[in-house]
Amino acid sequence: MSPTTVLYVAQAVHGLAYGMLLFLVASGLTMIFGMMGILNIAHASFAMLSAYFCYQVLLMTENFWVALLIAPVVAGICGILTERFLLRTVHKQGHLAELLITVGIMMVILEAVKVGWGAESLVVKIPPSLSGLVNFAGLTYPIYRLFVIGLSVVILGIMALILFKTRLGKIVRAAVSDADMVSALGINTPLVFMLVFGIGIWLAGVAGAVAAPLLTVFPGMADQLGMDAFVVVVVGGFGSLGGAFIVALFLGELNAYGIQFIPRLAPVLMFAFMAIVLAFKPMGLFGERE
Amino acid sequence: MKNHRHKWILWGAGAIFAAVFPHVFGIYYANFFVAFAIFSLYAVTLNLLLGYMGVLSFGHAMFFGTGAYATAIALTHIPGFPLLPAILVGGLSGGLLALILSPLLVRVSGTAFAMLTLAFGQLIFVIALKYREVTGGEDGIGGYSIPPLNIPGVVSIDMTDKINFYYFAIAVIAVCLFILWFYTKTPFGNLVVGIRDNAMRIDYLGFKLPQIKAVNLIVCGAFAGIAGSVHALLMKLVSTVGVLDISASFTPILMAYIGGVGSFFGPIIGSGVLHLLEDLVIRFTDRIGLVNGAIFILVVLYAPMGLVGLFGEAKAKWFHKGKVS
Repeated sequence: MSPTTVLYVAQAVHGLAYGMLLFLVASGLTMIFGMMGILNIAHASFAMLSAYFCYQVLLMTENFWVALLIAPVVAGICGILTERFLLRTVHKQGHLAELLITVGIMMVILEAVKVGWGAESLVVKIPPSLSGLVNFAGLTYPIYRLFVIGLSVVILGIMALILFKTRLGKIVRAAVSDADMVSALGINTPLVFMLVFGIGIWLAGVAGAVAAPLLTVFPGMADQLGMDAFVVVVVGGFGSLGGAFIVALFLGELNAYGIQFIPRLAPVLMFAFMAIVLAFKPMGLFGERE
Repeated sequence: MKNHRHKWILWGAGAIFAAVFPHVFGIYYANFFVAFAIFSLYAVTLNLLLGYMGVLSFGHAMFFGTGAYATAIALTHIPGFPLLPAILVGGLSGGLLALILSPLLVRVSGTAFAMLTLAFGQLIFVIALKYREVTGGEDGIGGYSIPPLNIPGVVSIDMTDKINFYYFAIAVIAVCLFILWFYTKTPFGNLVVGIRDNAMRIDYLGFKLPQIKAVNLIVCGAFAGIAGSVHALLMKLVSTVGVLDISASFTPILMAYIGGVGSFFGPIIGSGVLHLLEDLVIRFTDRIGLVNGAIFILVVLYAPMGLVGLFGEAKAKWFHKGKVS
């Protein structure tokens, strides 16, 4: 195969890996928005927190798999505590107060990681079993990126099964479309909210921990992941998982090819596109409700 | 009558305090005071949207930053550009940006408004970051000189002198704050509050909602632009970090909330509190954001009307003089 083709395919895999990570972050964000009406500004901050946890656990146990398992769970617990003790307290004050609380949480997490781990970039090493390249149909791919893609697909598959095949999933989907009605049917919606918030943060945490070796762990990580995930949710439509999936993959590819060909225009295009979508279709391209 | 006299004494005391401030506390705190004044004006313009019109601007830095960049670009590229027009350019460009965005922004409210402003704020931020020829990218624009204040045939005051600049900046901001205060007291200002409380009723009274919202937006944009412009003059450097990034949008929200969104003077108090706090905290740690964020969460949780609200409650409780709201 010609070197050009190899380059294109490699960029496509890069883009796919980043797009899947974005979708892991954005899926929680869009579910939380759909159910609770909260735009969780701190969502990517939790992903970053998870990346730092991953670094810390790796430092202590020197086992990447343990870190990958523990870090998102700890981040998810942080998320559940946040929902229970902060968001639920201001719930009666309306969405604006909830939005502002998440801004506060974002600031606290950003500074807390600087206190805990310093402002430098921390390197998380890819475990030996996942480092290196693999040959496939005459092309070489980095194994770790393939692993990222595979893990995301597995997790999202399980999530989709839970969401569409179980009773809990049915309740969650119903609550996304009308939380008040679900509550009136005698279902403990605050508990469901807490659970969904926790799972959403856990998904973001998985993305953060998996991204740690790719992006390195640094305090600006939340901004980078967060703004991209925000674009995904906005353009894909609030509460729409399918929309978020399509846009996340598109954005991942735009990111990968954009850096190659139009380094200047890509981010500008991305935000301009989002602003236009938001201005004319306030609920996004695939959003159902007005 | 008595209340009226109290007010004048208070204003007089404030004016005298501002006048002797740099001579008592020195140059460092004079600059500190100017920064406080700049952010007061900036936070007040945000509060005109948040407290008065009931919408949260998440990308307010775009007006502030546009004003700052406009002034910096004008001073860099046009030799002999005078001082007052430089500030006017900042205000005009902030207002112009608001005018361009207003057809889209007036259609939405609530969370959608917050997200749309966040999106446009990020768009402006990325544009400023990427178009290095005009904006200097991450390095920003620096090295422009501050022109003297020229009143033809009367006087020319050197603005590189810190004390002179202090008086000039404080005067500009005081005038702007007075105009805004007066603006909220006009019938038009009352209409804006009416939109917050019950938009439909204002609509039925025959007023044009989108136009009123747009005018309020443009006023806020213009004055935020002026605040940015004075900031550019104070810092002699404009870069995306500090005037356009997302934390520059969050700062006035913090100030408005900590001071109290329900009153005109709340954000000014909030700006003062945050600046004093920063001055205090920085002696112990660099992590000012941690303290600010924690205080912000506590305020949103327990004192949604901010310090002004707390003060009003305390007054009502202990003295039984103030009306219980």
